[in-house]
Amino acid sequence: MDIIGLYPTWFEPGVGSGWIVGFIATLHVLFSHTSVGAAIFFAWLANHAYRHNQPQYLEFIRRYGLFLLVFSYVLGSITGPGIWYSTTVASPRGISALIHSFVWMWATEWVFFVIEVAGVYMLVYLVGRVDVRTHTRIALIFGLASYTTMLIIVGILSFMMWPGKADWAQTGGVLHAFYGGNTFAHLAMRTAFMFAITAVVGGIVAARFEDAVLKRRIARTLAVMGIVATLAGAALLQWYLATLPETASVVLDNRLPEHFPTALAVAVGATLVYFVLTYVQPRALVSSVAAVMTVVILVLGLWPEEVARESLRKPWVAGQYVYSNQVIGADVPAIGVRSEIPALEAHGFLKVHPFIPTELRTVSDDNRVQVGRLLALTACANCHSLSATGMRPLQRYFGPGHSEREIATYLQAALAGGNTLYMPQIPLNDTEARALAAYIRTLLPAAPTQTAHATPQE
Amino acid sequence: MTPEMLYALRDPAGVPSHPALFLVLGVLTFALHIAAVQVTLGAGTLTLGGAFSADAHWRRLAAAMLTTAKIGVSVAIVLGVAPLLFVQVIYDPFWYTSNVLSAWWVIGFIVLLTAGYIALYAFYWKNPELAHTGGRSSVRLVLSLGFFLAVGFIVHGLTYQMLFPEQWMAWYAPQGQVDPSGRTLHAWHAARFAFFIALAAPVTGAWLYGYRRYLQGAGETDGAYLAFVQALAQRLMTAGGVVVLAIGTLWMLTLPAKMAWFAGSAAMWLALAALLAVVALPLALRDRLDRGYWGYVVFGAGALALIVVGAAREALRYGTLLATHGYDPLDYRVQLDGYSTVLFFATFAVLGGVTLGYLLTVAWQAGQHRGEGPYTPSAAVARLGQWAVGLLVIWTLAYFGVGLWVWAR
Repeated sequence: MDIIGLYPTWFEPGVGSGWIVGFIATLHVLFSHTSVGAAIFFAWLANHAYRHNQPQYLEFIRRYGLFLLVFSYVLGSITGPGIWYSTTVASPRGISALIHSFVWMWATEWVFFVIEVAGVYMLVYLVGRVDVRTHTRIALIFGLASYTTMLIIVGILSFMMWPGKADWAQTGGVLHAFYGGNTFAHLAMRTAFMFAITAVVGGIVAARFEDAVLKRRIARTLAVMGIVATLAGAALLQWYLATLPETASVVLDNRLPEHFPTALAVAVGATLVYFVLTYVQPRALVSSVAAVMTVVILVLGLWPEEVARESLRKPWVAGQYVYSNQVIGADVPAIGVRSEIPALEAHGFLKVHPFIPTELRTVSDDNRVQVGRLLALTACANCHSLSATGMRPLQRYFGPGHSEREIATYLQAALAGGNTLYMPQIPLNDTEARALAAYIRTLLPAAPTQTAHATPQE
Repeated sequence: MTPEMLYALRDPAGVPSHPALFLVLGVLTFALHIAAVQVTLGAGTLTLGGAFSADAHWRRLAAAMLTTAKIGVSVAIVLGVAPLLFVQVIYDPFWYTSNVLSAWWVIGFIVLLTAGYIALYAFYWKNPELAHTGGRSSVRLVLSLGFFLAVGFIVHGLTYQMLFPEQWMAWYAPQGQVDPSGRTLHAWHAARFAFFIALAAPVTGAWLYGYRRYLQGAGETDGAYLAFVQALAQRLMTAGGVVVLAIGTLWMLTLPAKMAWFAGSAAMWLALAALLAVVALPLALRDRLDRGYWGYVVFGAGALALIVVGAAREALRYGTLLATHGYDPLDYRVQLDGYSTVLFFATFAVLGGVTLGYLLTVAWQAGQHRGEGPYTPSAAVARLGQWAVGLLVIWTLAYFGVGLWVWAR
């Protein structure tokens, strides 16, 4: 009999594993975008400072660089692998799919990481200790290396949503997985917002300058960069949305929380107002306000953006072939990947999952709820919390009056064919559907406790 | 777990090059990573030992080691990404299962590493003039080192759990009751963990030899300080070597039955010989340590020895999983991807080699610079820098060129 490569499930009842990944990923976006944006900004600023004999800008590089060492390279360098670690435990087959297609791309990115880390320390610690040309060159190397890290990761992130070329499943290969319209739109949008974030975070440092003239110049430079970047980012977001697959557009219109567009609009609007204010009145640039703006961008901009990106690709988690519940739901003939749905339809989860305790592989009246819980962990818990809190709690989808049979019928009708928007195909046979239904009933507020021993006639 | 189950857990997409490449790169990058970890731990411990000392030499050393530790953590993290990547490629069934079964520890790793790094910076901010004023707030440094050790222990546990597929079901579903909480770190081996931590002593000793030679090259005039550093370096190498030997012996004596074959194996003896050779190297070099690059050779040899130790560690994993569980990472199905394979090796060897060669040369020569005014690199080094920038620009243009071509087809 086929065994399919499903791993054990980690279930976090409080907020859910998905939100833990999202939390770490959102923080990382803030740190890493600041880092890459600052690196490019530094390269420009160092050149500008030397060419126009304005060494005071180097002081900004030194101070911002020291700040970046902690803000981006301490926190960013940890949250980067942190995303790997957290997705490993929350979605092992999702991250595995990416790793096995893009290992050499990630390894290439790693080369640039090493250059980046060497570069940032040298940029900061060698101010005044090396000649102008050398320092400028280090800044340029640092900026270019930083941006290449973004070039690579954007291609991989875009694949999570949608393989670059529509025929990737037939052609295979990293090139067709990596490159496509979505990749470039994604890259352009991120690049723009990256500069906007850099300008906001840079304000935390610039605000501390006591030299009013220097502070005004840097505040206005950051403001101009921020205004242009924010407006460009808002426009490029439209391009990005136009490159999404049709299903994502439907999800976007129907499934995202209503407050998300408002939150994004508030983030963009507030950012623009902030930059205009600091341009017109640079004295308004104070560290605490810049820090608050950073939090605004984090909470109202990056968090909805990351959550939306996670939602838009549903029911897939990687490359339109790995479902969010870890089951491979589509063939990718070019790389020898076959859908696991036929095996599940033929044998059921309990027979083909390697991590099912022997005593739970066969359903009985005594273990039905226990088996149902295990099925819920396997097929549902990645996206639906089994507790009352966390991500999309399962219990909210059913009412207390629903019988075990009704729930089982619904599960099979709605999920077995894979025709429900946003949901993976989950081919539950009668026995498994009843077990899962029995468990779901225990989650419902008024569910009678005797469902553990439910009979078919109930 | 039967071999059939283990093989089923493999990613069906296969691997984009021969699996031996990932195995070898995993060993090499692990060695570099663990070297950075050990230097960081050793430097942090020397900072703790010296910062609060009345001895000016110790305080000066503490200041230098604090800088070393700060940068060392960055280097350890960035170098650690590579073996973390490669282990997932060919040992994915083992790595993912182990991680999921101890998920909260995995998340804890991120939190503790962040806390440790911030605590280290907090100590630095509190002690900007450590060499002159002495240390304050030892608790920050103690916390930092404690967090780093905890992080190391977690990774040790996750790596060790990989080796026990026969236990996975019992860990996931004790007495048949599935526990998806991920709250338990299920297996560890104290002597194995202690061995890799204790290695920090001789590795840091080797690092101090390089530090001493670096000071000499920069025109250091305090001969007493140089002598102090040399004595400390040798003490760390010899005494630390003895401790490592003792702990290593304990590790070999307490290996689980299915790994007992490793004690006395060729891999073990090779690792032992490499470590002993490095410990003996400064004694053999004597006065040559002050000439040319010999002072740096000790650490270089230490890094090579760590590659041998890393290879032995890999032999233990490979041999155990093959012999006991029938899993051979080298028979992973190859789904060749020529483009990304060539891209990595070209980037690594050409762009990485030139750019890092330039950066590290400038960093080193700037530190050794004794003349008036800022350091100016030679024409040859400057040309290397031009090449580095040129290669980065070419790489970026190639990215867009290839991408637009693929997109347009």
